[in-house]
Amino acid sequence: MSTEIMYQVGGFILSGAVVAIKVYVATIVFSIPLGMLFAMGKLSRCKPLLWLLEGYTWLFRGTPLLLQLFFVYYGLPYYGIVFTPLIAACVTFVINYAAYFTEIFRAGIQSIDSGQYEAAKALGMNYSQTMRRIILPQSLKRVIPPLGNEAVTLIKDTALCSAITLPEILKNTNSMVTTYFEIKWYFFAAVIYLVITLVIIQVFKYLEKKFGYYR
Amino acid sequence: MEVISVQNLHKKFRDLEVLQGINLSVQKGEIVSIIGPSGSGKSTFLRCLNHLETADKGSISFHGNYIAKEDSKTNKAIYISNKEILSVCNKLGMVFQNFNLFPHKSVIENLVEAPMIVNKKTRAEAEKIADDLLKKVGLSQKRESYPFELSGGQKQRVAIARALAMEPEIMLFDEPTSALDPELIGEVLQVIKQLAEERMTMIIVTHEMNFAREISDRVIFMDHGEIVAEGTPEQVLVNPEHPRIKTFLNLVK
Ligand SMILES: Nc1ncnc2c1ncn2[C@@H]1O[C@H](COP(=O)(O)OP(=O)(O)OP(=O)(O)O)[C@@H](O)[C@H]1O
Ligand SMILES: [Mg+2]
Repeated sequence: MSTEIMYQVGGFILSGAVVAIKVYVATIVFSIPLGMLFAMGKLSRCKPLLWLLEGYTWLFRGTPLLLQLFFVYYGLPYYGIVFTPLIAACVTFVINYAAYFTEIFRAGIQSIDSGQYEAAKALGMNYSQTMRRIILPQSLKRVIPPLGNEAVTLIKDTALCSAITLPEILKNTNSMVTTYFEIKWYFFAAVIYLVITLVIIQVFKYLEKKFGYYR
Repeated sequence: MEVISVQNLHKKFRDLEVLQGINLSVQKGEIVSIIGPSGSGKSTFLRCLNHLETADKGSISFHGNYIAKEDSKTNKAIYISNKEILSVCNKLGMVFQNFNLFPHKSVIENLVEAPMIVNKKTRAEAEKIADDLLKKVGLSQKRESYPFELSGGQKQRVAIARALAMEPEIMLFDEPTSALDPELIGEVLQVIKQLAEERMTMIIVTHEMNFAREISDRVIFMDHGEIVAEGTPEQVLVNPEHPRIKTFLNLVK
């Protein structure tokens, strides 16, 4: 294989990394705030909302992400809803990951000692002030390690999008391997994933340190 | 002038009758101590006063304004709206056994938080009050520290300052020294004594009998959710008539 072709193949696979990162960023940006919001809903006293959110987290954590991708990309068109592969991937991932983040935030919020609510109330703070100023900031520190786990899983999950023809890392690698019969491109793909996860791990290490100013 | 008045207060946890008809009136500048065996309902009573617990029956009023009013037919405690409760209850400062400082905020931020958020004070105003209070409790040098960097006694003194920063009309203390090592109790009691000298209205639940005797105008002995005896420290602690108090005092000695 000539150097020129090597560069072309490598570039092609790397362009898949750009697509994967797009899905990644969209998922993080939307599903974290959504998860936080849903978590508060799950802790509210409004029963219908509670059941709705229970059903939602059960459905999306209880079925394979790949199935959800298929449904959104191949299934929804039967109902007249057609997405490009990229949009289908983003929509599915946001909804799926928000379900996991909901549970993580719920556990994080619930882990805060009831004395914190009582102290806030005794000082005259209302529910939204208490959540915003006292409870959520403290939960944030506690959810960083589990969020970090999900954040690493997420980049690897983007490989599932190859099944809905999204030209991401794995899909592009596969097509290069079958075109040129060179399995070394799988290693190349592995290295790309490793570099991205390394960055994610570093970001979360930094966040843990940033929140480490108190105990 | 009456600051707080409680009539016929009842509270149940499932089948457990924790408060069985408490009556109490506290005048401005008065210092009332509540003593009694574990599980007698002292904390529950205190927590009912600022709505950390909801009473089942009876009335609670603050400066003559009802927070909960006993329904004349059913005796049920009918509360005013949550919003109104909050605006009344921020005039009641509370100090907890476990301090409950906000761990993610520095000492000064713990003190200015509620005055700024609830009372809409400017940061400058709030910090001025906070700094004066820190001086008063002897912790000016810990202004920028975080709660985890403080000893138990220091934490409790910050918690007292935090409650005072809201300029309360009455302070409620729930066993403020029970979680402290013996050598740290003194510094916290000292701060409370100082408040007593300034005639801050206070209700103090405590197991420190000498302290209660020293600072209280009135001592209340609670047992099984009832006020069994009430009177001057002399009457209740020094020459108790009631056999249950005698037993209790012998136990804590
Ligand atoms: N949230 C709750 N749910 C159920 N039971 C409770 C609750 N809070 C208190 N109790 C019960 O009510 C009774 C009175 O409790 P309370 O905390 O008021 O007692 P106390 O006089 O403050 O005791 P101590 O000196 O140990 O602090 C106890 O039997 C306790 O187990
Ligand atoms: Mg108690």
